[in-house]
Amino acid sequence: MVELETDLLTYQYPGSEEASLHEVSMRIPAGEFVAVIGANNSGKSTLCYALTGVIPHLYHGKMQGKVLIAGTDNKDKTVSEIALHVGLVLQVPGSQMSGVRYSVFEEVAFGLENRGVPRKIMRKRVNKILALIGLEKYAMHSPFHLSGGQQQRLALATILAADPAVIVLDEPTTFLDPQGAKLVFDILGQLQQQGKTIVITEQRLDLIAEYADRVLAFDKGHLVMDGKPEEVLTSRVMQTIHLDWTRYTQVVDLASQKGLLPVDFPLTASLSETVAILSPSREKHAHSR
Amino acid sequence: MSEARNKMQPKKTTTTLFIDKDSWVQHLHPFTKLSYILLTGVAVYSGLFSWKYTSLLLLINIVLVISGTICREVCQALGRIMLPLILFMLPIHGFLYPDNSTIFLEVYGMTLYQEGLYFALTTLLKLTVVLITSLLFVFSTHPADLITALSQAGKSPSLAYLLGSPLLLLAGMRERIETIQAAQRARGLHTDGNVFRRFCSLAPLILPLVVGAITEVEQRSIALEVRGFKSTSAKTSLRILTDTTLQRLSRWGMLAAAATIILFRCAW
Repeated sequence: MVELETDLLTYQYPGSEEASLHEVSMRIPAGEFVAVIGANNSGKSTLCYALTGVIPHLYHGKMQGKVLIAGTDNKDKTVSEIALHVGLVLQVPGSQMSGVRYSVFEEVAFGLENRGVPRKIMRKRVNKILALIGLEKYAMHSPFHLSGGQQQRLALATILAADPAVIVLDEPTTFLDPQGAKLVFDILGQLQQQGKTIVITEQRLDLIAEYADRVLAFDKGHLVMDGKPEEVLTSRVMQTIHLDWTRYTQVVDLASQKGLLPVDFPLTASLSETVAILSPSREKHAHSR
Repeated sequence: MSEARNKMQPKKTTTTLFIDKDSWVQHLHPFTKLSYILLTGVAVYSGLFSWKYTSLLLLINIVLVISGTICREVCQALGRIMLPLILFMLPIHGFLYPDNSTIFLEVYGMTLYQEGLYFALTTLLKLTVVLITSLLFVFSTHPADLITALSQAGKSPSLAYLLGSPLLLLAGMRERIETIQAAQRARGLHTDGNVFRRFCSLAPLILPLVVGAITEVEQRSIALEVRGFKSTSAKTSLRILTDTTLQRLSRWGMLAAAATIILFRCAW
């Protein structure tokens, strides 16, 4: 079981005047689906890089504090070693392609080749991952001829090939349409059910509300709130960190203001929660919250 | 022969210059083709052989191109590169070559000389031979095969990547140029028209292209790192490059021939 932990983590990029992360301390237990939210330059990507060892191994800025991956300081392992436990999916799918592989199948196998996995096992594992990601019918296509959504799923597949216990995703749905984004979250949900830990930075708060177990809210490099989605996403803190409530929270809030719902009616963040709480048995749901 | 290629042929065209055909030329080991390029280049430019031998090499190249079923592609590329050279070199050397003395043709008071024409034709012949050899390699060798061959030969993965990736990433770059061009056009920039106009439109095209490329390099290096590219463990390969004893022997033979020509040229 791989746990992630940061202890008073502060990081400043080379040439930058301000730190991108300020004394961030948190712990992510195995099997949790954690969403990291915040406005631009709030430190989300920096956190992803720190959790995967890209910081301090590839970015040589000023780092204080610790990042522990399964109890080991990330400074003591190479990025390649860390990647066996913690995979990283980046924002731009095209730039995650190796650029040296002929087909989707070979692209997924690239990471396995680098790690010396025998050809037979490689083929089995790639087939399994492509089926999971839903790209099996594109196995023989060039990675560069896939759509943005398919490329992002391929990027996820390339990371899954190493079978890491933790998958860190840095805004993977930025270039995807709503359906594509939902599909990525569905796959992540499945992976969590298989025991994987998911850490995702994301701007689509309605999806976070549906899928995440926990939300970390960042503002200017500070961890300002850490809690359940329904707590964080409906909090007034959201406005102070330049993020909006989800449309469901806004609907319930507006209804309360207009007197359609009681003033102290609990705010909700997701569609399913809102439907549940507004259903005839809402008193029961509201009470249970 | 690359078994992997047979099993995993993309249905769509690839992003490389590679033409996916199933001939013995395509299935030759990349090092065999590289050895042939080296030998051809050395033989053509050593100055030891007359135009007749160069023509023989041209004939061999034509046979290889036909065998590789890449005639159309090679002819198109050859035409684009050689035609302007032919149009410039023949008249320039025909009229102005310093050793001109024997008149070949007189047109409206202008004299075309045999020596200049001979020089231009032999130079063009050499260029054509070397160009066809290079095109043969580019059109019949997938960069991934070259990278696999280099890796299997124990070369550093970084070197293999450095040599192989530009060929594959070229298409991505081309797409980005088109996107930037479209965006600049939408903002009123004229990217078509005369040479001067096109030249003026280069700066707004190149700057975002370079900045975008730098960002992408950074992202790609992270992506490669997290996929174990620099892992020190022994690497394996999904692609299977078959190398025969005959090919190995022919490679050594070609390298030895190239070395002998160089030695002769130095001693001469």
